Amino acid sequence: MSSTSERNGAGAGKNGIPAGKPVSTGQQILDKGAQMLQSFKPINQMSQHACTFALYSQDMSRQIETHHFITRLNQDFLQAAVYDSDDSDARLIGIEYIVSDATFEKLPPDEQKLWHSHAYEIKSGLWIHPRMPEMIVTPELKNLAKTYGKFWCTWQTDRGDKLPLGPPSLMMSPQAEGEGVVNHELVTKRDEKYKMSKEDLVKSRIEIPEPEWINPMADYWRQHKKCFGVDVESTKMKIETDYSIYS
Amino acid sequence: MASSDKAPDTMPVGDGTVPPGKPLTVGHQVIDKSAQMLQTLKPIKQMSQHVCTFALYGHDMSRQIETHHYITRLNQDFLQSAVYDSHEPSANLIGVEYIVSDRIFDTLPSDEQKLWHSHDHEVTSGMWVNPGVPEMIQRKELENIAHTYGKFWCTWQVDRGDRLPLGAPALMMSPQIVNMGVINPELVHLRDNKFKISTDELRKSRANIPVSKPGNARVADYWMHTGKCFAVDIEEGDMKKEQGELKVVEGQKFP
Repeated sequence: MSSTSERNGAGAGKNGIPAGKPVSTGQQILDKGAQMLQSFKPINQMSQHACTFALYSQDMSRQIETHHFITRLNQDFLQAAVYDSDDSDARLIGIEYIVSDATFEKLPPDEQKLWHSHAYEIKSGLWIHPRMPEMIVTPELKNLAKTYGKFWCTWQTDRGDKLPLGPPSLMMSPQAEGEGVVNHELVTKRDEKYKMSKEDLVKSRIEIPEPEWINPMADYWRQHKKCFGVDVESTKMKIETDYSIYS
Repeated sequence: MASSDKAPDTMPVGDGTVPPGKPLTVGHQVIDKSAQMLQTLKPIKQMSQHVCTFALYGHDMSRQIETHHYITRLNQDFLQSAVYDSHEPSANLIGVEYIVSDRIFDTLPSDEQKLWHSHDHEVTSGMWVNPGVPEMIQRKELENIAHTYGKFWCTWQVDRGDRLPLGAPALMMSPQIVNMGVINPELVHLRDNKFKISTDELRKSRANIPVSKPGNARVADYWMHTGKCFAVDIEEGDMKKEQGELKVVEGQKFP
């Protein structure tokens, strides 16, 4: 359960969000009471924590460590709430959807361009499930290695934004070459935190089969040298239904 | 390229399930149970409220959805929520909403403010509810929320029949008292039956909740002032060149 100390103190919290008054103890008690009365079924389905890295499509030198809290809805689809850390004060920075190769092949090509492959990320040991023995996660990794992801980042904390500003950014996945290579220091820092070694994982994941084929529309930047920027444009509203009778 | 206000290219219908896919196996359950035991999942444990409310697509306000927010309060002025299309275990994760106090909202530049929506009407009208929690217990929090502004990106347009999250994110707006902001009473009725509540009764009991005083030049609920909304476009462009030589070499592994 959340600790009271996290919500005390004015000024910026350690995650940088501007803070106002602390929450009173009385209010905290009420909040806990309310929480106990509710059910959180979709959240209870979030069963896995994965830590990996992602790169901004429009500027792949900007790379972040991400923490995915994942729900598997069926054999071909997962959805994840993505945070910038695994601490209790972690900021919710986006959403990633993950589909099997079979599902991906059914997407229209213009849609496929927005997605990225996961094979390299898994085989290279960048994608980990903290504190889970590799033996237990291996079946899941074999499945994930053949998937594709679509990741919208809605809060650019890496550039110092204290609040979520601007439109969402499309994110790309780590790859073996060029702009897809994740900065070594980022990886080392992460590995030290979890007391693990990417090199060891590369060896233990040799058995995980590479996909026979990765759709060239995914990881669009690799073959097409193009990226995707997201723009918010003012436009006329669509006026379909007259609701004036309800005014 | 993809735009939030244009319907995406069609894809095969299959058996119509959302999302399409084969059911889980026992093996998956083993992994899930182990993970739940061994991993701490701290950010998720901070989700302390389930709120059910309604939202409207900014570019087409006749499209209205019931939403389920699972909210974490990070401090007295800031909340973040994962938004789902139902409160069931099979719910689809359809977006993210951030909520800030009016005090924080006033620090945002006006171009940013235009992307946000107010919450006072949503609270006082009874649209915003915490299922299962008596009003009396929720009262203080409601008074707080009535003074906040939200920014809600919808990343999966399930309501238009998308079986998978397609296209660009859409910017969502909040229920308002005037014309296009009014939520279809049928939607509210369905919600009320589900949770055995009465939005009308809640509205009466919330009539005296103080709402945000109009701030200096606040530009939230942009559509109400201008008749304009925001569409999100994805544009293909040249990749940013890094300092030094740009090299994309197929097949060559870097250390």
